[in-house]
Amino acid sequence: MRNLGVGLAGVLAALLLAGTAVAGTTYAGPKMWWPNEGAGSAYSSGWHYNYFFKESGLDATVTFIDNVSYSWHGTVRGTSSTIYARWYVSNVKRGHCFSHSGYQWGSCYVTD
Amino acid sequence: MSRTNSRRGALVVALVVVASAVLATGVIAGHFQSVDPPSFHQALLTGEITQVAVVQTEDGSPGHGIFAQLTQAGHLCLFEAPSATSRAHGGACNPVDNPLNGSALSATLSYDGGPAIGDVTSATLFGLTARGVARARVLMSDGSSREVKLRKAKVGSDEFQVFGYRFKKADLKRGIGPTAIVAFDANGMELGRQPTGIGG
Repeated sequence: MRNLGVGLAGVLAALLLAGTAVAGTTYAGPKMWWPNEGAGSAYSSGWHYNYFFKESGLDATVTFIDNVSYSWHGTVRGTSSTIYARWYVSNVKRGHCFSHSGYQWGSCYVTD
Repeated sequence: MSRTNSRRGALVVALVVVASAVLATGVIAGHFQSVDPPSFHQALLTGEITQVAVVQTEDGSPGHGIFAQLTQAGHLCLFEAPSATSRAHGGACNPVDNPLNGSALSATLSYDGGPAIGDVTSATLFGLTARGVARARVLMSDGSSREVKLRKAKVGSDEFQVFGYRFKKADLKRGIGPTAIVAFDANGMELGRQPTGIGG
């Protein structure tokens, strides 16, 4: 009985961890952005999409930065209400978002 | 007595200003937060993809496609890539009832490499214009400009002009990149302008 309890606890813990691994996270905002302001997510091999949700008109960039060469990948710059970078590889990377203009609302979100 | 009234008046004005600011912030934030990131992401993953144009280069590099997606979340998204399933690409989305953001054009710069312009391996400026736009030009950091071809394209039930310009690798290596794109009518009058550029 005790072993069954330990086993169930292990399964629950694994499910919780799996849920955490696939969940996205908002790493900046929602907030008012200033001109030339940037933000970055934590590094992970699990991120594949990096979004900037914002008021249309805010001129911004989203990209992925790898942890070896620190090069940018799948970068996009625009004023649309949503811009996104997709880099579908297993490399360790972080999301980066940057506001070129400002005084508008937005948030940055990475997910698998 | 008048001093007390004056203080009260100032206090009331200050309270009204603060309340207005809080209210405005709440309204904007509330409107902005209507986008649920996981739902938006799921809609993007499941939206049907249609190729609307092919972008050729002047220096013989392989062409890229421009792809459109109408999502169940009510957005029109555009992205450019060698293929619809490319591992690295970027895109931009607007509400389907306002795909140009109320402007004459909506442009997106997509690139790989950098952030230093000399390290960029591929860069494309793409987007949509209103039908009244006769021509568009990309302004470059060295003061020159590049003509952008406009092609009619049907996206969903609406007709637009789609454009795409792939920058020459020679320009990028010399540190020459885009600074803006400008749309003109048939008489050469400027209809819209959007700044752009590499890095940030």
